[in-house]
Amino acid sequence: MRVMIAEDNVLLREGLVRLLTESDIEVAGTSGDADKLLVLVADDPPDVAIVDIRLPPTHTDEGMKAALKIRTDQRETAVLVLSQYVEVGLAMQLLGDSAAGAGYLLKDRVSNVRDFIDAVRRVADGGSAIDPTIVSALISKQRKSDPLDRLTPREREVLALMAEGRSNQGIADGFVITLRAVEKYVSSIFSKLDLPTTSSDSKRVLAVLLYLRG
Amino acid sequence: MGNTVPLPVAVSSTPAATAPSRWVVLVVASGGAVAAGGLILLAYASVALQQPGLDALTACWLTIPYIVAGLIAWRLRPDSRLGVLMVTAGFATVANFLVWANNDLLFTIGVACQFLPPVLFLHVFLAFPSGLIESRPERILVAASYGTAALTLPALVLGQAAPRNVFALTDQSALAEALQKTQLVLVSVLSLAGIAFLVRRRRRNGRPLRAALSYLVDSFAIALLMIAVLLMAGFFGWSAVQQPIRLATFGVVGLAPIVFLAALLLARLGRASVADLLIDLGVNPGPIELQEAVARALRDPSVQLAYWLPDFDSYADVDGRQIHLEDGSGRSATPIVTDGVPVAMMLHDSGLDDEPRLIASVAAATGMSIQNAQLQVELRARLEELRGSRIRILEAEQRERRRLERDLHDGAQQRLIALSMELGELGDQLPGDSDLGTRIDRARQEVTASLAELRDLAHGIHPAAVSDHGLAVALESVATRATIPVEVIGATEDRFPEPVELAAFFIVCEALANIARHSEASSALVELERKQAALVVEVTDDGIGGASADTGTGLRGVADRVEALGGRLQVWSPVGEGTRLRAEIPCG
Repeated sequence: MRVMIAEDNVLLREGLVRLLTESDIEVAGTSGDADKLLVLVADDPPDVAIVDIRLPPTHTDEGMKAALKIRTDQRETAVLVLSQYVEVGLAMQLLGDSAAGAGYLLKDRVSNVRDFIDAVRRVADGGSAIDPTIVSALISKQRKSDPLDRLTPREREVLALMAEGRSNQGIADGFVITLRAVEKYVSSIFSKLDLPTTSSDSKRVLAVLLYLRG
Repeated sequence: MGNTVPLPVAVSSTPAATAPSRWVVLVVASGGAVAAGGLILLAYASVALQQPGLDALTACWLTIPYIVAGLIAWRLRPDSRLGVLMVTAGFATVANFLVWANNDLLFTIGVACQFLPPVLFLHVFLAFPSGLIESRPERILVAASYGTAALTLPALVLGQAAPRNVFALTDQSALAEALQKTQLVLVSVLSLAGIAFLVRRRRRNGRPLRAALSYLVDSFAIALLMIAVLLMAGFFGWSAVQQPIRLATFGVVGLAPIVFLAALLLARLGRASVADLLIDLGVNPGPIELQEAVARALRDPSVQLAYWLPDFDSYADVDGRQIHLEDGSGRSATPIVTDGVPVAMMLHDSGLDDEPRLIASVAAATGMSIQNAQLQVELRARLEELRGSRIRILEAEQRERRRLERDLHDGAQQRLIALSMELGELGDQLPGDSDLGTRIDRARQEVTASLAELRDLAHGIHPAAVSDHGLAVALESVATRATIPVEVIGATEDRFPEPVELAAFFIVCEALANIARHSEASSALVELERKQAALVVEVTDDGIGGASADTGTGLRGVADRVEALGGRLQVWSPVGEGTRLRAEIPCG
């Protein structure tokens, strides 16, 4: 797997390169700003572009714009946006009409090596990775009549992991339960929330997030 | 208040000129009467005219108004040379009608003057109102016209209008005729060029010309157009239509001095309006009333009063905003003096400069009652200054907060992330159940917890999401995390200036916090709307009401912020009927 990185902080950029290389992921290019990343990606599209949301020159939305541009122009490259604060609205902007090959995580997540590498691999494979902070905010969001009240505590946990972009196998591994048990939870959740079942994990992510967003 | 604006010296006084003595007036007036009588006699005696009565009438219509209006203007405004010029134009036109004479010498003199009337009319129109032609291109135009008119003399020598021409030395009538046709074309082209200058004068600075003045300029332009048409009719020899065109042209050209006279008398009436001004000013007028009264008295809607504020070392308009006096551009400034001290400048159309006595009397009358207005303007200037400093303080605070947030983001937060990454990698290399591995993992979690706290702190200092991504993104997160269902609707996708977006964001946060604390509401609605040049934010809940903008200190702080931006915050909260908070923040 080949990855490119846009991160203006040298310490973090080098840390990311080391982290990915040690996990047998090839870092095909790095950049301190959005423009250079876009050139690198267009020249030789990698599997994943990891983009810091705040990049020079204004350190506001340059990274976000670059991420959106890659998602429209370079369909084969997945995008993982890293940020020091996460916003529901930005996650939805990034996903647009498809959660396939899109990730949006707090930068802090790099400290959990296994989870982070798992997220990189997931988006590279056309899946998604949505920060748990966003998912938990959406799940605990106050609603006038809350259909989520009908879920059992375990079902809510499964729902959260689905929204983060985990596969059934990933959820089963996390809870140390069988795949069949996870499938049962999922179909129960979908019927309780009156959601149509979907074929792929990324479609499931978008459906669940849109549902939770209300 | 930075720039020093020196008090300009008084308007340049026009060169001293005296009104014509009674004798001169008498001589000119009797000359006019003789001319009128002469024209009638000449017409009836002429063997060349078929309708002597009509011709005499049109000749008088074309000449007498110029002599009369010129004489009155000369008396009323000795400092303008226009009066003399008009009298000259009138008599030159009389001389032109000598072509009717049966005597050959008089006839030849009449022919010699034939191009003088149109050229003098052009001169009069362009010299209005000062009597002087101010721009160089206009001077060249008038000089060229006189030069063209003078070509009649060589034409006469070459035998034009032979055999009655007493000046003819040779008989080159073909050449003479060509010369005359050239003159016809040249004078008509020059008249059309004169129209262009008049049109430009009418649009001067885009400010409204005084009504009397614009009618006058229009009548001049029409007269020039008619003259050009008449000359072209002569050139092409349209004998069939020449007579009606001649009558129409004479009609219009003769009308111009009458309009001029009317404007002049209106200005005389204007002096009477100084009396009205004094009445208007009787009751300590405010700055705006004073300016309007002066505009009425001068009949110039563009009048502006610039009040001198010594403490600010600058001029200010009626709203207390600093203004700079500019030179030229068709505006004149007349100082208003009280007790020998200049207190204000009266800025008006330069066209009024030729009514110095009107200006002086209005300025004097204004000076007597300006004190109250000046004090009010000074107060407004101080309020304006206060408002400016409030905005500056707010902006400075915002700048500082943004810098702090950025420092945290680029400094401590990045370092802690790098550290937690390092710890994560270290822990990964150790077996998870080893003592060291557990301790490293705990350290990593500590760092992650610190990062979360730091993130909250940074957000409290400056909500970067608002500046970086706009209200829609920032407010969605606020609504998602609220303790009751909150709906956000309206113009959230629009971007506004940063201080406006931040103010709107803080209003919503503070309102939702108050709702959570006191309202017992079950839901809330946040509405954003762009209204003209303002962002309107409304937060409504269905709680118990009874809130007030003054009770919560948080709300007071938000109100201060809105007011510093020139907006206002209102709260309606009748007991038992929920609370509605509305803020209007100007963003133009």
